[in-house]
Amino acid sequence: MTALAPATRSEADARTASPYRLSFAHLLRSESIKITTLRSTWWSLGITAALSIGISMMIASASAQFGGGYPAVSAILSPTQFTMLVAGILGAIVITGEYSTGMIRSTLTAEPRRGAVVVAKAVVVGVLIALTTVVTYAVAIAATAPFLAEGIDWSEPAQSIVPLALGVLSMVVFTLIGLGFGFLLRNGAGAIAVTVGVLFVLPIVFSLFGMFGESWSWIADLAKYLPMNAAAEVTAPGADDLAVPLLTLAAWGVLPLAGGWAVLRGRDA
Amino acid sequence: MIVAEQLTKRFGDKTAVSNVSFTVQAGKVTGFLGPNGAGKSTTMRMIVGLDRPTSGTVTVGGQHYSHLRSPLTEVGVLLDAKAVHTGRSARNHLRAMAATHGIGRARVDEVIELTGIQSVAGKRAGKFSLGMGQRLGIAAALLGDPRTLILDEPVNGLDPEGVRWVRQFVRHLASEGRTVLLSSHLMSEMAQTADHVIVLGRGQVLADAELSELVRAWTTNNVIVRSPRLSELVAALSGPDVTVTASSPGVAEVSGVTAASVGDLAASLGIPVHELTSRTGSLEDAYLALTGDAVEYTSKEIA
Repeated sequence: MTALAPATRSEADARTASPYRLSFAHLLRSESIKITTLRSTWWSLGITAALSIGISMMIASASAQFGGGYPAVSAILSPTQFTMLVAGILGAIVITGEYSTGMIRSTLTAEPRRGAVVVAKAVVVGVLIALTTVVTYAVAIAATAPFLAEGIDWSEPAQSIVPLALGVLSMVVFTLIGLGFGFLLRNGAGAIAVTVGVLFVLPIVFSLFGMFGESWSWIADLAKYLPMNAAAEVTAPGADDLAVPLLTLAAWGVLPLAGGWAVLRGRDA
Repeated sequence: MIVAEQLTKRFGDKTAVSNVSFTVQAGKVTGFLGPNGAGKSTTMRMIVGLDRPTSGTVTVGGQHYSHLRSPLTEVGVLLDAKAVHTGRSARNHLRAMAATHGIGRARVDEVIELTGIQSVAGKRAGKFSLGMGQRLGIAAALLGDPRTLILDEPVNGLDPEGVRWVRQFVRHLASEGRTVLLSSHLMSEMAQTADHVIVLGRGQVLADAELSELVRAWTTNNVIVRSPRLSELVAALSGPDVTVTASSPGVAEVSGVTAASVGDLAASLGIPVHELTSRTGSLEDAYLALTGDAVEYTSKEIA
């Protein structure tokens, strides 16, 4: 702290002279700087990629024993049931980290329109996880090729590009679920617990009801509206009627976030 | 200019700020004083829209903070040094903050240099000392070259050089016609920095006046007299407004008279005077007199 500000100007000058403006594009830039300058982001993405590629290779090398007809694209998509957790956790810590450190106050004084903050964070973390998933799939496809008797049939979209694209979409939804619960709960441990519960634990709990006989089967049926089950449906090779699971995924991507926005809007930061 | 009108904030049953109105004028440094829990920070948080007032309004430059089109160029705010993600480096924190308004790297480097944190700018903010964190918070507040600065305890944890820098810097900013509102517990520092003082106590405005006026209204002026023939002099001094207290043998503290009149009287009586000191009240005296009843957390007097 040595020198004073060199320029001397009146208040009126400062009003007109400033070329700086808050805008949504600027906010996106800010959020992308934020997310890429934290180690936890790179750890999460690294773990997601390593898990995904490793498990794909294991499945691919074991697939010879599965008998014929195992769709090659499933080897790429199966790891999702593990990597979805990392995606959800990344979504949660993107915002809960701001609450635990107090950064949220800086964020909200720079952009007082709180809805814009929610949307900007969702876009940035969503795009980042989508890019990571695309790269991961590409590496996994190359790495598994030597182990697969039959490679991916690219001439058949329902066996190749469609499930892969919907796999990317599912990962984005898992991330947004974490982000939504992060905004809702503001607490890292709580948000991660709820996210893991919704993604991983509820499908198991619901499926248990399937064993309790007919009278409980309606609960087991509800399981298809859980994010993991909906994602499994849309990424199944050759799946047709995708409308219901896609809507289910979309709802999971939007509703927790909308709840988080409502909380952020009303509460003191 | 910051204008608060009947600002009230309740947290459950507890009223943190009650019906507070004040105006912080441009071109001056306004000090925000008050005991712990008086509502200073809550008021500052309401100004920048972090807390929503239960009732009442507050505007900056005539607008609600949330309606500002470029908040960082209008208002620079330091609420506490802990509004930074501990895992991010100081430079990256400032870059991210700057990016929201399209403020470039050059200005980021400028505020880093201005606040003297060049050597630690690459370090993670979580490893910062209190003083360094404070400098980083001030750097963030300055990013948009704002017309209004709101600084909550800016010198908290700063070294003497940093304290002096903040004082000179805010005085300089005010001289440019900017609005500066700062809180501090350091009375001597505030006395040297502020032109105008708003004193809060138990969520209410206890005083809102020019610093000199406040000190004059809430303190008494004393004259300290040391003389070998003190009793004769004191006897001659008596008058309706004059009170004399003897602090030690041969020394008296007299209020209600000026040093000049004591000196003249002594000369006319031929009484030698070894010391004649005029003592004016300090901001601290005024503050303590004002907030005596409004202190929420009182410490026990040591016997």
